[in-house]
Amino acid sequence: MQDLIISGKMKMADIINHDKRALVLMPRFGIELGFGDQTVKEICADKGIDTDFFILMVNVFLNPGYFPDRKLKNLDVDMLLLYLENSHKYYLEEKIPYLENLLEEFKNSVDHPVTGQLEKFFTQYIDEVKDHLAYEDHTAFPYVAALSEQIRKKQLDLSGIDYNIGVFEERHDNIEEKLSDLKSLLIKYFPTSNDRYIRIRLLNELMDFEEDLINHARIEDKVLIPIVAQLEQKIS
Amino acid sequence: MSKSLIIAEQSEIIRKGLVYIAEAIGIFRSVREVACSSALMDHIERYQPDVLIINPGMVSIENLENLKEQNKGDLKIAAVVYALFDDDLLNAFDDVIMVGDTRQKIQRKIHALLDKTPPRKASRPENTLSARELDVLKLLVKGLSNKEISDKLFISTHTVISHRKNITHKLNIKSVAGLTVYAILNEIISMEEVQ
Ligand SMILES: [Fe+2]
Ligand SMILES: [Fe+2]
Repeated sequence: MQDLIISGKMKMADIINHDKRALVLMPRFGIELGFGDQTVKEICADKGIDTDFFILMVNVFLNPGYFPDRKLKNLDVDMLLLYLENSHKYYLEEKIPYLENLLEEFKNSVDHPVTGQLEKFFTQYIDEVKDHLAYEDHTAFPYVAALSEQIRKKQLDLSGIDYNIGVFEERHDNIEEKLSDLKSLLIKYFPTSNDRYIRIRLLNELMDFEEDLINHARIEDKVLIPIVAQLEQKIS
Repeated sequence: MSKSLIIAEQSEIIRKGLVYIAEAIGIFRSVREVACSSALMDHIERYQPDVLIINPGMVSIENLENLKEQNKGDLKIAAVVYALFDDDLLNAFDDVIMVGDTRQKIQRKIHALLDKTPPRKASRPENTLSARELDVLKLLVKGLSNKEISDKLFISTHTVISHRKNITHKLNIKSVAGLTVYAILNEIISMEEVQ
């Protein structure tokens, strides 16, 4: 598959056909499928999404090397927050429960006492993911939202806020790392299960989740943090 | 300018790129291109190159060994790689040039090929754990700290850490929880011991 750098003139359907990873991005922008032959620009106009923002996010998500800092300057932070929060919602409400179900199914298909340990490992891991997301949802993102509101209202008073994006940058860790342990165990070391397909399904989903988390973190590290740092500079 | 080089690669853009980089070194009297494997052997026989840079997809491991045999070490062969190949195949080459390598790096590799010293072979990673690594793993999954492991095994914590690195590297598992599952699956430790 060749890298795809999208533009406003491309048809949304073509983008998804070319790179299926674009599919999960649709709900994060509030875009529903069934948009016919409409272009990116048309759909964004329809949904009230800033086209440049959409293009930037999709390109950063699909291409590890893509990073145009020129466009960051006039990016709407509130839109970015909404996107990130929607992604979290997808992980928490859709992806994680699905993974939990698959793991349960897998556990039942393997006749080995070690599955208890596997479940423990997985539960611990999911707890870590949830903590990570909760910290962002309850601490980091509200700070960014407050900062953005102050700028909008031209209050420019940060005295009540005891936080800065540097704190977030410092503690922002890789939550996808442990997934590779799980992957190795499932690919290389687990005994054969009664249902050969459940393991493949589980692996597929884990890899998909891993990639999604990596891309998500890249947007937080390379888009959110620099923009907020710029806003902070504006104020001080 | 006494050496000669053959570049065998299907992709024109990569072939021409290698020609450009190799010519810039200024040590080759001739740089020839081969675009398909059928002309390869003929070219080598006719031009007797000192260096062959080749896409591993264009040659079998038997052919490669024959080539080296016939030329008694006078022919250095490097692979140009932009796909995943078997380690056994890549190990049969004197060096491996990655498409993502910088010009300087590629030129250094070509230089090194022409040096008298036999090039360093990339060693195939060993995946089974050594006896000592197994000892460390056992204690690790029982929940012991690096310090406790070092006391138990009479080795320095530094050594413990380096064993842990090797274990992780060999198994591709980083976390203790993951290693625990591995250890139980491979009967290195029993379920009861980790409870
Ligand atoms: Fe996040
Ligand atoms: Fe994050």
